[in-house]
Amino acid sequence: MNIRRKKLTASIPAFAMGDIGFLLLIFFVILARAQDDSHIQWQPAELPDVEMAAAPLATVAIDSGFKVYLDGKETTADELAGALTAVLGDTPSGERNVFLKVHKEAKASHFEPVIAAISEAGGDLIHILEPEENSTNR
Amino acid sequence: MKLKRGKMLVDPPASASSDIAFILIIFFLVCAAVQPETGLSQVLPKTEEKKEQRDQSKNIEVSITPTSIVLNGSPLQLPEFTRRINAALQKKTRDADRIVVVKSAPNTPYPVWIRVSQVIEQAGGILTLELESNKTINVD
Repeated sequence: MNIRRKKLTASIPAFAMGDIGFLLLIFFVILARAQDDSHIQWQPAELPDVEMAAAPLATVAIDSGFKVYLDGKETTADELAGALTAVLGDTPSGERNVFLKVHKEAKASHFEPVIAAISEAGGDLIHILEPEENSTNR
Repeated sequence: MKLKRGKMLVDPPASASSDIAFILIIFFLVCAAVQPETGLSQVLPKTEEKKEQRDQSKNIEVSITPTSIVLNGSPLQLPEFTRRINAALQKKTRDADRIVVVKSAPNTPYPVWIRVSQVIEQAGGILTLELESNKTINVD
């Protein structure tokens, strides 16, 4: 005699799909921001008429201790050009955006060699600055 | 006669509260991290180690110190510098004539430097940095 086995169906609750999709979205957003430099201590200089900056390929920072970082990793101005060239690769001109975050108390002796290195690597330099309060309130 | 209505209590499932908290944490984390950044762009042509080709006598020369801006030998403050550099660059039509050679004292603060470079660019100048190591960088 054949005994019919009852079919067990395991269905994924459809209402959880929204949550799963949302979490996956956030996961990829965070993954896309792998170049994290949030640990670097710096204060931007203020300037009138600043523009919204496009997405960068690399971020160079000079912190409050005047140390140089490339994408959150400490480096030196001498090594920067080579490292940046490797990061930028064959990206066409106009898309080789490099953010430069300079602590507002930095002096020319700190930031000029860094600008020279970015120039040597062929980066499109974008100084990251804050809009001056007087100019935004107008 | 008053009839007492039975209270209908609907508790949110406790197992979901940790999920909600987690999603809220991530939401605020992403919001904090994805703040748009503002700045000033400068297109840097790749540095070439060429011998001096520019006609130095024709170039506008700017020296920046912590306290003043020296334009072709005369020390100025920013408003006067802005006026003079605008006047000087207005007459120039060729790119080669609009080169402004900027030399900074080693102790020049970044806010001063960036402000002067913005003024030069807004006036239509092509910024060229002259470093102490004799490297020359052109900044459009």
